Amino acid sequence: VSNGLKEQLEAAFARTTVTDGRANEYLVSCEKESVLSVLAWLKDSGYDHLALVSCVDRPALGQLELVFVLSAYMQEDGGLSGREKLNVILKTALPRDNPECQTATHVFEIAEPYERELHELFGINFRGHKRLTPLFLEREYEIPPFRKDFDTRAYVKDLFDNIPAIEESKE
Amino acid sequence: MDRNQLGKWLKQPAKMANKYSLNAVYFCTGCGIIEIPPVITARWDAERFGVVPVATPRQGNLFMITGYVSLKTLRAIIRTYEQMPDPKYTVGFGSCPINGGMYWDSYNTIKHLDRYIPVDGWIAGCMPRPEAVFVAVTHLWTLIEKGMANSSDRYRKQYGQYRANQEKLFGKLDWPPLYDGGNGKPEKGSR
Repeated sequence: VSNGLKEQLEAAFARTTVTDGRANEYLVSCEKESVLSVLAWLKDSGYDHLALVSCVDRPALGQLELVFVLSAYMQEDGGLSGREKLNVILKTALPRDNPECQTATHVFEIAEPYERELHELFGINFRGHKRLTPLFLEREYEIPPFRKDFDTRAYVKDLFDNIPAIEESKE
Repeated sequence: MDRNQLGKWLKQPAKMANKYSLNAVYFCTGCGIIEIPPVITARWDAERFGVVPVATPRQGNLFMITGYVSLKTLRAIIRTYEQMPDPKYTVGFGSCPINGGMYWDSYNTIKHLDRYIPVDGWIAGCMPRPEAVFVAVTHLWTLIEKGMANSSDRYRKQYGQYRANQEKLFGKLDWPPLYDGGNGKPEKGSR
């Protein structure tokens, strides 16, 4: 279906660039406003498996880079049923001080736990997500712990090293 | 039964029975649990030593913490430990429960397990081999025989300290409810 995915995608969406990544993947970068429509477009053109939603913290650029890894199911004979490459990696930059993005759960339902995870570990706020509740963490952190400016050493010194050993009474 | 041990059996039957019926709670923490299937199945066959895995903490008396303990797991560990009947023995398995191991600066992993629940012994290593489990078990036998495997007594005696350490991490724990001195009302804030 998506012969010439690069041309089609760049024609359909403004400020969207497609480059070749490693052998079997495309790198797509787009504006954060058009993430949902690009995702829906890619889903319709055969990349209907959302493998991963992840995030990269770039403090030097003041950005949080949201990464979607999409994949097409391989045919039994190893062919890609007409698609050029196996994976599409969609990247978009969010401002670091107020990271907000539309949720992708309406396009890919499987994005729900990934977005909850990113919400608690990177502090990204997904608008329209139904259940942005804590997923892994038991405590509350001032800075989300996966950001680069979270000082794990200082945190450990502050919290865990201040917990005293048990003193046994001698009887 | 070994005939040579008949004297011991007659002298202290309860201790000997405890020794040879260690029922290990199936509680999987971290990566160390991958060593447990070979330990309890045909290759190393832990049942030779009387170690049998059991399904619920209410039937178990040996609690092995097999790897790093995140805060969420610690909450479950406390809950499991409190449910086990006496006598109960705790063994930390691997270097992570001892001092954090490779998670020494992790934001979400506790560093010293013995500050939250009492521990009878440690198996060092990353990972310990299955043989190390049996070394630990035979060592635990010696401790039980000499009355030195007394972690649950220590827990009862120092409960204030353990509970304070637990609550430093979790805020107010709502379970187990604190004993109120016997006037029948559960303490405020507990279930």
